[in-house]
Amino acid sequence: MALPKRIIKETERLMAEPVPGISAVPHEDNLRYFDVTIDGPSQSPYEQGTFKLELFLPDDYPMTPPKVRFLTKIYHPNIDKLGRICLDVLKSNWSPALQIRTILLSIQALLGAPNPDDPLANDVAKRWKEDQNAAIQTARDWTTQYAKK
Amino acid sequence: MMSYGDLEQRPAKKRRFFVEDSPEKDNTLSAEASLPDEINALDQSAGNTASGFVREGEFDVSLLESFVGEPLSLETIEKLKDLSGNNVERAINLYLDGSWRTQDQTTAPTASDEQSSIDVTPVQTKDDISEEPGVSTPTPAPVPTRTIEPWIAMPNKRYIGAFGVTAWATRSGSGLISYGDEVKIERTKPQGPGGSRKTGKLARSAQKDVVVRFTNSRGEEIGRLENDYAAWISTLIDQKVCIFQGNCVYAPERLRTSDNIYLQLRCFLLKTGFESGNITKPVENNRKMNLFEAKESVDERNLRLRQVALIKMFDEIKLHPLQSNDKNDKHKREKLLKAAEAAEQNEKDKANQTVKPSADGTSSPPSEENEEGEELEQDQLDTLYKKAQSFDFDTPTAEPANSFVMELRKYQKQALYWMMSKEKDEKSDHKERVMHPLWEEYAWPTKDVDDKELAEVVDQVNFYVNPYSGEMSLDFPLQEQNCLGGILADEMGLGKTIEMLSLIHSHKSDLVISAASAGLSVNNLPRLSKDSKAVEHAPATTLVIAPMSLLAQWQSEAEKASSPGTLNVMVYYGSEKSANLQKLCCEANAATAPNVIITSYGVVLSEFNQVAAQGGNRGSHGGLFSLEYFRIILDEGHFIKNRQSKTAKACYELKAIHRWVLTGTPIVNRLEDLFSLVHFLRVEPWSNFSFWKTFITVPFESKDFIRALDVVQTVLEPLVLRRTKDMKTPDGKALVPLPPRTIEIDHIELSKPERDVYDWIFWRAKRSFAENVEKGTVLKSYTTIFAQILRLRQSCCHPSLIRNKAIAAEEEDAIAAADLVNGFADDMDLQSLIARFEADTDEQDANKFGAHVLKQIQDEADSECPICSEEPMMEQAVTGCWHSACKKCLLDYIEHQKEKGESPRCFNCREPINSRDIFQVVRHHGYNDVEGEEEEEEEVALYDAPKPSSSTSRISLRRIGSDPSAKIAALTTYLKTLRSTNPHAKSVVFSQFTSFLELITPALSRESIPTLRFDGSMSQKARAAVLEEFQSTTNKKNKGCVLLLSLRAGGVGLNLTSAERVFMMDPWWSFAVEAQAIDRVHRMGQEREVRVVRFIAKGSIEEKMLRIQERKKFIASSLGMMSDEEKKMQRIEDIKELLS
Repeated sequence: MALPKRIIKETERLMAEPVPGISAVPHEDNLRYFDVTIDGPSQSPYEQGTFKLELFLPDDYPMTPPKVRFLTKIYHPNIDKLGRICLDVLKSNWSPALQIRTILLSIQALLGAPNPDDPLANDVAKRWKEDQNAAIQTARDWTTQYAKK
Repeated sequence: MMSYGDLEQRPAKKRRFFVEDSPEKDNTLSAEASLPDEINALDQSAGNTASGFVREGEFDVSLLESFVGEPLSLETIEKLKDLSGNNVERAINLYLDGSWRTQDQTTAPTASDEQSSIDVTPVQTKDDISEEPGVSTPTPAPVPTRTIEPWIAMPNKRYIGAFGVTAWATRSGSGLISYGDEVKIERTKPQGPGGSRKTGKLARSAQKDVVVRFTNSRGEEIGRLENDYAAWISTLIDQKVCIFQGNCVYAPERLRTSDNIYLQLRCFLLKTGFESGNITKPVENNRKMNLFEAKESVDERNLRLRQVALIKMFDEIKLHPLQSNDKNDKHKREKLLKAAEAAEQNEKDKANQTVKPSADGTSSPPSEENEEGEELEQDQLDTLYKKAQSFDFDTPTAEPANSFVMELRKYQKQALYWMMSKEKDEKSDHKERVMHPLWEEYAWPTKDVDDKELAEVVDQVNFYVNPYSGEMSLDFPLQEQNCLGGILADEMGLGKTIEMLSLIHSHKSDLVISAASAGLSVNNLPRLSKDSKAVEHAPATTLVIAPMSLLAQWQSEAEKASSPGTLNVMVYYGSEKSANLQKLCCEANAATAPNVIITSYGVVLSEFNQVAAQGGNRGSHGGLFSLEYFRIILDEGHFIKNRQSKTAKACYELKAIHRWVLTGTPIVNRLEDLFSLVHFLRVEPWSNFSFWKTFITVPFESKDFIRALDVVQTVLEPLVLRRTKDMKTPDGKALVPLPPRTIEIDHIELSKPERDVYDWIFWRAKRSFAENVEKGTVLKSYTTIFAQILRLRQSCCHPSLIRNKAIAAEEEDAIAAADLVNGFADDMDLQSLIARFEADTDEQDANKFGAHVLKQIQDEADSECPICSEEPMMEQAVTGCWHSACKKCLLDYIEHQKEKGESPRCFNCREPINSRDIFQVVRHHGYNDVEGEEEEEEEVALYDAPKPSSSTSRISLRRIGSDPSAKIAALTTYLKTLRSTNPHAKSVVFSQFTSFLELITPALSRESIPTLRFDGSMSQKARAAVLEEFQSTTNKKNKGCVLLLSLRAGGVGLNLTSAERVFMMDPWWSFAVEAQAIDRVHRMGQEREVRVVRFIAKGSIEEKMLRIQERKKFIASSLGMMSDEEKKMQRIEDIKELLS
């Protein structure tokens, strides 16, 4: 199946005007599959970390949202240990007007603003609520341990 | 001084079409004279004929020889002496015009004093011919190969037949005549030979005297023949065609005046009847005919009388031509007599009008000012062309010269071969001798009426009669083609220009070739004295005359086709005209002369006028008319179809050895169109208008179409090469390979309301079919079932169709009607379903939503679609919250959300939206309105990248929920995409439902897509107009035009090659029918790839029809062997599948 114009255009733009702190490079053998890295936002426990993600555009994209998953281990209440992300725009609030770029920005924002009230990793969320500082410290440790630049 | 008598006599040399004119050379003479046979024959004939006109006197042989410019043999001089009645001047003329060879003494006028004033020298004759415009140069007659004239070998008279005739006595008495007595048949007042031809008046008064009397052996007059017989017998006697010998079959013992006597007449054709010098044929020059109309009518009259008389006699003696059956013959003779009668009547009418010869003799006869001739009906034209198109694919090919660098296709090489053989006048050996179409062949009888053997004449078994003119001949009247050119009438697109260029390269004048091979330098050739007044030969030059618009094309084609430096091409137009063509092209400069001069009809006409204004001095004009070209080519030759037009006349005057006419339509709508071409080509005898008129126009106008067209066909056959694009080589290949063709099937998803309608009908049809199967009444209710299937197919196209009365009328079967009545309640449901489908289609002007909305919509129009990134959007649509995207994207997204069980929300602001509140933005730029002048300037910009000029373009919004039908929507989308990528591409839309086409038209016009309609309800004229408009490339309104056709309308011949897209709105039972429709676009002449889209409603009966199409050739085509019943059974199997 030929690559839709939309995907071609998005890819071109990601290359031409990259977002600071974010990169997304398609696989040569599958242009719907992207290797993504997101820098941890400053003043967050993920600062100084670079997180690898994979992003896949399903056949009915942009009717359905892209599938995104963290490859790098991360300690975050909305990201489980398989790297799955709990984010509304990746689910019910997806709109075809959104793009890879906006989705990745949302994920970056999610790192800066964890939301333990809508958890995916329950244990992390629980801890985040009970002892936020300890949780943040763990997140820092994990970042240093797994996402060191 | 030219006396009347001179005029009467002299044109005779040009009137002979079938007798080989003796050329002004003498090489034939010596050959003839050296044959002892002929000398004897001559003596004999001189002895046999009444030579009462030979007078003793001075006959100055040396004067004769000095005029003639060569020594003459004794025999020749003797004959000339006899023929001329010892008048030297007459003898000179006889010798020079060649008539002496065939003329008999009897025709020598007694009134020699009339002739004494003739002052014609050979030199002057030449001048007359070359300087007087309108007199065509006589084409050089082939050198006669026959050494013995058959008429010399012929006895003075030959028995031809006998018949019974009634006579009445003019005296009383007994013993005057009895059974078996010989009687002499003679005219009452024998006319002096030639007397009747002296003046017109005399001939006319003589007409009433038809009395034929007979005498007994003692020379006493007994009585006269009945007038019915006498009328024509007198003509035959007077014109020395026949003599008659009578025997009394019955006479009363005692004779009383006005008693009936029965005679048997034996007819003998006289030798003199075969001498064509006796017959006056129409003169060659049309213009002269006008001047001498009075005289002409007398000659024509004699001709006609003789014609009628011969026909009547042949009828009486029951002599029929070989190779013809009696019935036809009888029929034909009746027609001929009728035509002659009509002519007689005409003549009488004409006699009442006074004909004034025009003052200068050059203007046209008033009666011929307009285009004459009736128009041909299309089918007549078709028949004619069909006959002319029997192209022999085994024709040999010729390879073009090396200097010609283009590749020729096989049929083009065949054209080259044909053209070269035409120019070189090589008669192909395998061809049979074709008898001239107007002549009939008769056998001399071998036994007389009493069954007695008749003396045979060696080598004279047959004789020939032209029943159309009354001429007789002993020679086989060969259909001769002495024109060294022809008509190349290949259909447009087959490469006439290329074929012609290959000829230019491959056949050059011998002179040029020998000059080149001998390595003669230019200096060795004779220099042209400056400004020659005579017309000079241009042996290296071909003149091409084409419409102005084609000059550049000819030039570029000529250069493309030639290897560099081999063809010197000159466009003679505008500033180039300052050149002196004569100097450029004359023989002396052959090495440097332009090989091709390309000019326009306009230039030819204007130079013609200039030359005429200079008193016809061609040479010193130095232009087109100062040369005799090696070859002339008239492109688009139908430009001269009107022989009265000045352009045509100008073209006739151009001189050349080879003449060609290129045209796709040798006959546009009148047979006379062809005449003009034939006249230009100088095809004898047809280039003579009176001849043409007599044998083609008059029969045609008197509704004898078959004869006229047959004759035309024999004229055309050797002259025309015509191939059409439809022709296939024997192995079934097209002459020219076609560009590729792709057919794709677009499976269309029916909209929900459409689906509801479809399902409802499907369910009902299935139920009734099942019921019928159960009751075993399938065959009986066959029509009903078929009608229901028809409805199903219609509902795939547009639910409104099934309400259409016209369609309902197609359901002929009464059961169907009853079924309708029974199902009335159900129909109410159906009605409401359809009504829902046809929800309001109101368009709303976006302005009423306020400037803000308008601006937003316009701002977004050029940006890319947020969903598919298409830029600009395809068919911009907006949500109720005024967010734009492509229509398809928007609808797809809403559909997607619905499928997931979500309520649709705006893709942009996530506002909940209603699928009914999606609007399509309709932009009213385009073809037909508002912008006018602005449109012209911005034309390209506007269509290549539509840019709304904010102030002028009007926007309206249309609810998408009110889309006409899924198929129409899909079609519209295709067409709009096409418009944005290729604004000039034309499309053809086929549907078998005319009423569907009626729904498509408004849908397309809403999108400003121009449409044309073509269906069976239109008149032939309206159809032609539509096709012309569609094919036209110049009409601006026509850009991107869409032609809507019903599948069944329009003949096979329809040519829609200007289109490159085909849309099949609905499938037919057999794909062959659809393929035929597609082939109207994908056929010879199509130069672009053709893309075909077939719309098939998804999950419907149409998909099943496709399966049936694929599985076999459905219904009739392959079931030809089945009985009707079997066919029905077969169809029911199909129906089962359709309703599964």
